[in-house]
Amino acid sequence: MLSKHYGKADAQVKALDGVSVAFEAGRFTAIMGPSGSGKSTLMHCLAGLDTPDAGRIVLGGTEISALNDRQLTALRRERIGFVFQAFNLVPTLSAEQNITLPLALAGSTADPAWFDYIVGTLGLKDRLTHRPHELSGGQQQRVAVARALLTRPDVVFGDEPTGNLDSKAGGEVLAMLRRSSQELGQTIIMVTHDPVAASYADRVVLMSDGHLVGELENPTADSVLAALGKLGA
Amino acid sequence: MLRVSLSQLSTQFRRFIAIGLAVLLAVAFLSSTLMVGASTQASLGASVGEAYRKAQLVVTPKDGGGLSQAAVDAAASAPAVAGSYAERYAAVTIDDGGSEQIARVRNLAPAAMEPSVLLSGRYPAAADEAAVDSTTAGRLGLSTGSELTVGTAGAPTVAGKPRTLTFRITGLLQPSNDPFAAPFPQLLAADGTVASLASGSAGQGSEGHGGTGFTGLQLQLKDGQDQAAAVGYLGQRLKAAGAGDALVQTSGEKVTAAVAQMSGGQDQLTIILLAFAGVAIVVSTLVVANTFSVLVAQRTRELALLRCLGAGKAQIRSSVLFEAAVLGLVSSVLGVLAGAGLMAALIAWARTTPEQSFATLAVPPSAIIAGLLAGTLLTVVAALLPAKAATAVAPLAALRPSDDASLRNKRGRVRLWLGLAALAAGVPLLVLGAMFNMLLLAMPAGALSFVGVLLCASLFIPPAVAAAGKLASPAGVPGRLAAVNAVRNPARTSATAAALLIGVTLVTLMMTGAATSRQAFNAMLAENYPVDLAVRVDGADGADTAALRKIEALDGVQAAVLLKAAGTITAPGTAADGSPVFAISPGDAAAVLRDPALRPQADTVYLPERLVLGKVTVTGAGGTHSFAGRTLRTGSIEPLMDSTTAAPLLGGPAGTPGTAGSAQSASPAGALPRAAWLKLDDGLSAERIQAIQREAAAAFGVPVHNVSGAAVERVVFNSIIDVLLLVVTALLGIAVVIALIGVANTLSLSVLERTRENSLLRALGLTRGQLRGMLAIEAVLVAGVAAVLGSALGIAYGWLGAKAALGPVADVVPVVPWLQLLGVFAVAVVAGLLASVVPARRAARLSPVQGLATT
Repeated sequence: MLSKHYGKADAQVKALDGVSVAFEAGRFTAIMGPSGSGKSTLMHCLAGLDTPDAGRIVLGGTEISALNDRQLTALRRERIGFVFQAFNLVPTLSAEQNITLPLALAGSTADPAWFDYIVGTLGLKDRLTHRPHELSGGQQQRVAVARALLTRPDVVFGDEPTGNLDSKAGGEVLAMLRRSSQELGQTIIMVTHDPVAASYADRVVLMSDGHLVGELENPTADSVLAALGKLGA
Repeated sequence: MLRVSLSQLSTQFRRFIAIGLAVLLAVAFLSSTLMVGASTQASLGASVGEAYRKAQLVVTPKDGGGLSQAAVDAAASAPAVAGSYAERYAAVTIDDGGSEQIARVRNLAPAAMEPSVLLSGRYPAAADEAAVDSTTAGRLGLSTGSELTVGTAGAPTVAGKPRTLTFRITGLLQPSNDPFAAPFPQLLAADGTVASLASGSAGQGSEGHGGTGFTGLQLQLKDGQDQAAAVGYLGQRLKAAGAGDALVQTSGEKVTAAVAQMSGGQDQLTIILLAFAGVAIVVSTLVVANTFSVLVAQRTRELALLRCLGAGKAQIRSSVLFEAAVLGLVSSVLGVLAGAGLMAALIAWARTTPEQSFATLAVPPSAIIAGLLAGTLLTVVAALLPAKAATAVAPLAALRPSDDASLRNKRGRVRLWLGLAALAAGVPLLVLGAMFNMLLLAMPAGALSFVGVLLCASLFIPPAVAAAGKLASPAGVPGRLAAVNAVRNPARTSATAAALLIGVTLVTLMMTGAATSRQAFNAMLAENYPVDLAVRVDGADGADTAALRKIEALDGVQAAVLLKAAGTITAPGTAADGSPVFAISPGDAAAVLRDPALRPQADTVYLPERLVLGKVTVTGAGGTHSFAGRTLRTGSIEPLMDSTTAAPLLGGPAGTPGTAGSAQSASPAGALPRAAWLKLDDGLSAERIQAIQREAAAAFGVPVHNVSGAAVERVVFNSIIDVLLLVVTALLGIAVVIALIGVANTLSLSVLERTRENSLLRALGLTRGQLRGMLAIEAVLVAGVAAVLGSALGIAYGWLGAKAALGPVADVVPVVPWLQLLGVFAVAVVAGLLASVVPARRAARLSPVQGLATT
């Protein structure tokens, strides 16, 4: 039962109010909800970026809500991948350097076969020496996906990964995420408010006002929209 | 992580230019300072070494003494010695365009040992032959075959005339740069001639009479002889010959020792310069720290992203420090190169003048190592706090706009407490150091208190800016917005203002310090040298007034007065006994005496510092009277009293004073000495002063050595002050440039950071002109407040610093150079404006939509 509060006394906001949820390994799950529903806070807590006021978070047997900064850093480096909405890449590094950055931080090197496979799958082979500002938005997000996948993390978190993309580029990135979940067994948890994006997931968790308010298996854009509509009513 | 740092440096290097430039300037300053010291030593060595270039060993008599013939023979006849040259000198006078000048005659060495270079003609052989240096020859119009008559200086006169000797010139020599020889005309003559000249001249310090006193012995050893063994062996032989206290050195050691002896003052200059270089380094450190903070703040999101991707705090910290180290090292290398280039240019320039042709560039390893170390350490130390701030970036900041540091967070409070502690410790120690003239205490205490001021900047700068902001409200909406904006983010305002505060404080400190020091130096000079020139007049006094008129008309003479001795001091057994006391009227005193505090009062005799008497008994023509004695803090004045007080002494019938035995026997009985005192214009050259000395002597018909005075000393002192001020000005320039770099950088980055909010204002209807005006007003507010605060701090620091440094030697009265301060204020405001104009234009050109999309 996770709880997270912001502010004090009168102005207190309950971003998470007794949320209890499990995410299965190897599946692509989307967290949905209107603005202020607590979906981003939930993801931050799950990823160890934020600490809940009450409750536990367990990732594959490790209780991450009990880890200190050093352990959290190692956890993020080795077991978690991130794809953000914007500003995913270090602007001064080339695409290849960005992709291998987590490994470089850990002091290890990439498995060349795995690197080639991911880069090939994401269609980035001829873009590796480019700097982020020389890449399109979709290409930048694919570089971020490649980086997230390269370390074979336990889970990849996506925070509105297609929020800044047009629908075609966004569709490509989402397809890539779904493929990595289905073909590679990669666990993915994505926060979005776009029903179309959510329809790429295996499962959708719906949130409102800090509560878990429902979920959908094998969603479509329409079914998500319908579920959201019910929330609003 | 290193890769991230390196990519930062290579792709964003424009952001680092400001830091690099600040470091470069400080390092160039430091290493060229160290090169000044080493180059001076090398230059001195090169010039001193000229005299010993043919010798392997040098025997030097104990200070001031001479070597006897026996000692010279004992050393020269040693089996290991191949050749020897026993040096001796005689001083003669030559007639140099109407005035007597001292020339130095050296005895000719054996051909193999002669250090001079013959330009034309041949070396002298006969007793009446001499060679002369080409400079003197040119001045006196001498050439080979012409004759030169010299007077034997200091020798007793024969039948009222000085003994003279006429040389036939056989050759011209290349002028020596040896600092012992270079100031004089250099003559070279046969040994016997020099010996007879030297024996006639008293006061040369030569021990044996009859020309046996040698000032030194140069030796060449036979091939294959061990120098160290020879030194020991020669020492033994000299001891046996009764010259055991003579020093045997290799020529290298001799040169080193001579240079060390001569360059004592040079070391002090190096220390002073190093202190200034230290200040430049402190300023650079503050500017670099400030700029790095802004750079780190700008990279918050990037650092947070790295943290999300698994970078540990230590990695973040070390990446910032690594950046600093690389940047510091590169800038230091460039700084050392710049310093060496500057020195090489200066030396090359110096070599173009003949007197400095021996100038030698020396780049000691210490200058390189110290420069590299100081520059790199400076940058890394400056990056420590920003690096710590970088580690405090939470990974979540990659996803959220970050909150700026404010007074309310922990770091802000720690900083504040540290600042208050530094102030509490620094200020009392600084005041203490200034009151008790302890520069070594005042300097670090001053630096500590200033660090305290900077740490506490967020405490007083925002309220000050807010108060000043009220002045901007007549400018309408942009003015009101600017006033509010300027203090909306106290941390940013404080950082921006602090960079400027550093510069302005330092500049003001230097200006106030320089003005105060100059004032103190002038007061000290006036006290030490109250009279510019004094002519001692003897003989009949009929033509005195005419002579005085003639002197007054000379170009460069401001005032001339004639003084008469009222009597002589009677104080048996003391140095004062027999000294004449001159009477001076208050009007004359005001006209010629430099020290405004020295205005003779009634019933008091003023004495030079070598004479200490509580009560002075003066005997004059009118009788013997007693007066109170007051000893002045100057050696260069005659005993002095007010003319009204002196009247009774002069009043009586003419007669010989009772102390005739010890009185001035040179002057005719009954005629007490008279003197003419001159006050000269400021800023005369040494040559002009010497000309005035000659003309004044001629006017009264007395020898030139009757004219004494501090005018030449004053010129020398003033030129020293001018050199020091030049150094201060140079430092000032460097510090200003460093500070301005910091200002421009902080302001432009600060404007850049606010692209979004400025675009919002534009979207809400602010015109481009209003936006530009708003940013300009904001910049002027911050810059103006920093300039005013900095000026106030600088005046305080400058005065306290001058007091600490000069307190022991002079009275320090604070002098505030208002006009210069106004200039500083204008420069600071204009710098602030300029720094904001370019980014403001960029902000104004950006469409609101574009600007709002920027994250």
